[in-house]
Amino acid sequence: MTEIHLKNVHKAYGELEVIHGINLQVQTGEFCVFVGPSGCGKSTLLRIIAGLEGITSGTVEIDGSVVNDVSAAERGLAMVFQSYALYPHMSVYKNMAFGLENSKMPRAQIDERVRNAAELLQITDYLDRKPKALSGGQRQRVAIGRAIVRDPKAFLFDEPLSNLDAELRVVMRKELSALHAKIGGTMIYVTHDQVEAMTLADKIVVLQKGIVEQVGAPLELYNRPCNAFVAGFIGSPRMNMFEGHAVRDAAGLAISIEGLRLDLSDLPSIKDGDKLTIGIRPEHIAVHADGLGELTTTVKVTEQLGGETYLYCDAPGLPQITVHQPGQLPIVKGQALSLSFSRAQMHVFDATGKTVANGLTV
Amino acid sequence: MARVYDKPQTTGEALTHVAATPVRVLFRLLDYPMSAIQRLLGIGGMPWLFLLPNLVFFGMFVVIPLFLNFAYSLTGGTALFLSDRPFVEGEQYGFLFDCENYADPLSCREDRFWKGIFNTAIFIFFQVSFMVLFSLITALVLNREIRGRGFWRAVFFFPVLLSPVVVALIWKWILLRDGILNAFLVSIGLERILFFVSPDWAMFWAVFVSIWAHMGFYMLILLAGLQAIQPDLYEAAEMDGTSKERVFFRITLPLLWPNMLVVIVLALIKGVQVFDEVYVLTGGGPGTATQFIVQYIYNTAFTNQVQNFGLASAASMVLGGVLFVLTLTQLAATRRRDNA
Repeated sequence: MTEIHLKNVHKAYGELEVIHGINLQVQTGEFCVFVGPSGCGKSTLLRIIAGLEGITSGTVEIDGSVVNDVSAAERGLAMVFQSYALYPHMSVYKNMAFGLENSKMPRAQIDERVRNAAELLQITDYLDRKPKALSGGQRQRVAIGRAIVRDPKAFLFDEPLSNLDAELRVVMRKELSALHAKIGGTMIYVTHDQVEAMTLADKIVVLQKGIVEQVGAPLELYNRPCNAFVAGFIGSPRMNMFEGHAVRDAAGLAISIEGLRLDLSDLPSIKDGDKLTIGIRPEHIAVHADGLGELTTTVKVTEQLGGETYLYCDAPGLPQITVHQPGQLPIVKGQALSLSFSRAQMHVFDATGKTVANGLTV
Repeated sequence: MARVYDKPQTTGEALTHVAATPVRVLFRLLDYPMSAIQRLLGIGGMPWLFLLPNLVFFGMFVVIPLFLNFAYSLTGGTALFLSDRPFVEGEQYGFLFDCENYADPLSCREDRFWKGIFNTAIFIFFQVSFMVLFSLITALVLNREIRGRGFWRAVFFFPVLLSPVVVALIWKWILLRDGILNAFLVSIGLERILFFVSPDWAMFWAVFVSIWAHMGFYMLILLAGLQAIQPDLYEAAEMDGTSKERVFFRITLPLLWPNMLVVIVLALIKGVQVFDEVYVLTGGGPGTATQFIVQYIYNTAFTNQVQNFGLASAASMVLGGVLFVLTLTQLAATRRRDNA
């Protein structure tokens, strides 16, 4: 069982710094997911842990030992690559056995490990095949099998599902989750897909431009984002964001966004005139068929998915509002729609994007 | 984007319109005869029409000469025109292959032919082996992140662009009795070496110069093969703790093998055909030490006192047969590489 600890890790390519002092602890047996947009440094961070990239400063510790100068092989980690990185000229069996042969393990033991892993991943029937004779999902399993046979301290996954089609991705996601439950190793997983992150992770690390924005359990990030970036990144469709200024009126401090008044009197840190952003997720907006909501909008696009409905509505002076409703709604494009917003589910961000409140009480 | 026959809206479109006018006129002019031909030949016949110019050239310069060559190989005498030459059936082939012991060229009636074959075999053995080895080493080095990589790639490829005669003259200038190399040897107090007088030295330099001149081409094929290997594979091997030797022999070499096979077969074909460089460099000498099969054919047909076209043609057919087998091998190797 393995614990990985990054302390003030910096990484620069010449003048260009891509990782800016990251501190992070991945606990034993944890499924930790690095998520962020393209170029945020998540793959670089994974490669740093793997030992495939050096660091400019800071320390990387595995089980309490600093491994900055320890080679990738000696770190005892196994990595599953985005491209699978299977040796095309070797059979599935040879691919899985190759790493073990390097360590001069007895042949019988290698055979046992390969066959056990193949059974676990249900690829026993393909052991004699070459990778090109396998489907994407089967190749993915072989790549995971190659990692499992080494009995590594921790598994590192670099966007392993991104080459699969949507349906297979869902299947593999479930299998990965089941695999983690079965073998219980420490796993670090990189993805840009926040659905993957939410469904797989014990802990999510949200990265942006080489810094950690927030670390936490999936629902913690969803319910209590620490800034507007995390709030926007976690959750699909994105959180609706409205900008405005705090104004003190006769009833107290409030923000008024195109006629929508939100009381801020229970937020002492906000002052008159502060620029604020109000965020609310699509599922926290209610639709009023009787027209008695707070804001009247015009439906521009409807997406009827059968079990749920997405509505994209325009209101004067506001960015397009996304509304999520369960079930099927008989709403058509161009229809007027009255909406109301749950104060308890609203998020308030200051001018720098930092969260001021997750939920208003009034 | 506006189509050329739309009314131009901007200056750029107007210029395009003007520039396209000759093309448009040409297409209109071609349209009528081509439509008529298509009606005549049918759609299925049109590809043959487009292939015709190439087929004519291929026929004139490859197929007809090939048959002529075969016809000459069945004739004897010294007359130039086929109609004046007596038909001798397979006598020329019988003469070429009339040997008491094939391992000893001197036991053959046409010992120069067999000497040419033996010389070519020795040349090919050393030239192909070292060519592939040096090309591979160079490609491996130039595939790494080294300073001035583009420059070095150009340097190694540059000799490929030179004419074989130029290559030979450059090296002759270096290797002659009073050449730069001997001047250098003398300047450091060593004896002059008469490179083109010693059979071993002459063969050595024939092989060396040939490798120098062609290595860049094969290096490029191997370099392309190396660059096609996914970097992830090396990283996976690194994670697995694979030693550098094992990475080379178990990953790089097997994945490069289809390219290696193409290089080996191409080098073999070029080796069998070797002529111009060595002819200018050594003239086939000393004696017949560097006289290869193509030079034997050339001498037999054109430079010997008695111009024996029949015998030269028969030797050409034998050489053609060898090249045909090698070319089939090369095609099979290329197919294997493309399917790998």
